[in-house]
Amino acid sequence: MGFMTIIYRLILALVLFLTVRSCFREKDFWRQATAALVIIPLLLRLLLIK
Amino acid sequence: MDLNFKGNKYTASALIAVALLVSLLTGKMFSGNKELDALAPAPGFEMRMLSDYFEGLKGDVMDTPVYVQNGDEDGGSVMVLGGTHPNEPSGYMSAVLILENAKTVQGRLFVLPFANISGFSNTLAQEASPNKIHFTLHDGSTRVFRYGSRDTDPTVMWPIPDIYVHKASGQELAGNESKNLNRAYPGDPNGTPTERLAYGIMELLRKENITLAFDLHEASPEYPVIEAIVAHEKSMELAAVTAMDLMAKGIEVRLEPSPKNLRGLSHREWGDYTDTLPILMETANPSQGRLRGRTDEDLVIRGKDKAYVKAAGLGRLFVPYDENGKPLEQRVARHVEAIKLFTDNLAMFEPERSVVIDGLPDYDEISSNGVAYYLSPNH
Repeated sequence: MGFMTIIYRLILALVLFLTVRSCFREKDFWRQATAALVIIPLLLRLLLIK
Repeated sequence: MDLNFKGNKYTASALIAVALLVSLLTGKMFSGNKELDALAPAPGFEMRMLSDYFEGLKGDVMDTPVYVQNGDEDGGSVMVLGGTHPNEPSGYMSAVLILENAKTVQGRLFVLPFANISGFSNTLAQEASPNKIHFTLHDGSTRVFRYGSRDTDPTVMWPIPDIYVHKASGQELAGNESKNLNRAYPGDPNGTPTERLAYGIMELLRKENITLAFDLHEASPEYPVIEAIVAHEKSMELAAVTAMDLMAKGIEVRLEPSPKNLRGLSHREWGDYTDTLPILMETANPSQGRLRGRTDEDLVIRGKDKAYVKAAGLGRLFVPYDENGKPLEQRVARHVEAIKLFTDNLAMFEPERSVVIDGLPDYDEISSNGVAYYLSPNH
């Protein structure tokens, strides 16, 4: 795995963490749902599946 | 109706659980696309890997199977490369049909059905392509093959540059072309995954001293180089004779010279950097075109699209197109028939390096029986 890919995955992991945290902090259900939707591609890319 | 729901940690947990479930299900589906399609090579084929020719691919996701069949008599060698672009199924299905039916009598036959194997693990974004194509065999069983992307998997090759510079020539192309195997020749042993794959194929051509090599493709009916043979100047005479033979059988074909200033393509670099006679062939596939309607497995296999019938009526296409479409069996039949004729004609130009391959059906047989008829149920 190249150096750039490691950096890329670290950034992804950070954004994923912030998205999950935002989901828990958000008081509006639909904004929580939006955060949950964003988690799917972030997770698949973090694991280099898609 | 009031849709303003309050959120709390319980709703967040439930939504994240749903997101994880969707990730698990889709992840499993996408991971399944990385598994090699089952193949049933004809008797006499030995399986190697491209890394046997270029050590740098060993253990790499770009490493791809190479099937070799030796004839009883000495002769030359023929290489059939399918799957340079995994969204061009007549290319890899022709290679599979040859792999499962060929009986080499003289010389050697090399078949790489899935050249850019990483491209089979995904489809191109925003194309809405199917990711599998199915064939029902005469015994009722089903064979499944992946329908992939034109490019190397983005999870394998990232980041890509804004401008792709072809190292051997300095030619500049759009950055996305850096993931295109057919812009990467002659490759680079220390380059990107696509360049290393291209270098591996060049090493195979050199180390096995391949006499005649085919790169099988498809393109949209509105693309000018279609139902065509593209030949390097070294292989032009052989290609001209074969094109005449095809037309004598009622199979219309264009014959195009490989442009000297368009670099990175197999028909140019295989000829310039190895002793092989390179041939690239294109069939017409409406599921790749910009004019198509619904893009599904039916369009890939039957090749019928009413927008293309209309476009043909307006004179916008480079091939004849009617209600019968461009079915896969006809596209595969063109490739296989041309390979048979090229191989037969090779004896005229290189008598010491002739290759004789039996067992391959001809154009009429494939067109009437379909591709599935020639796939083995023993997979």
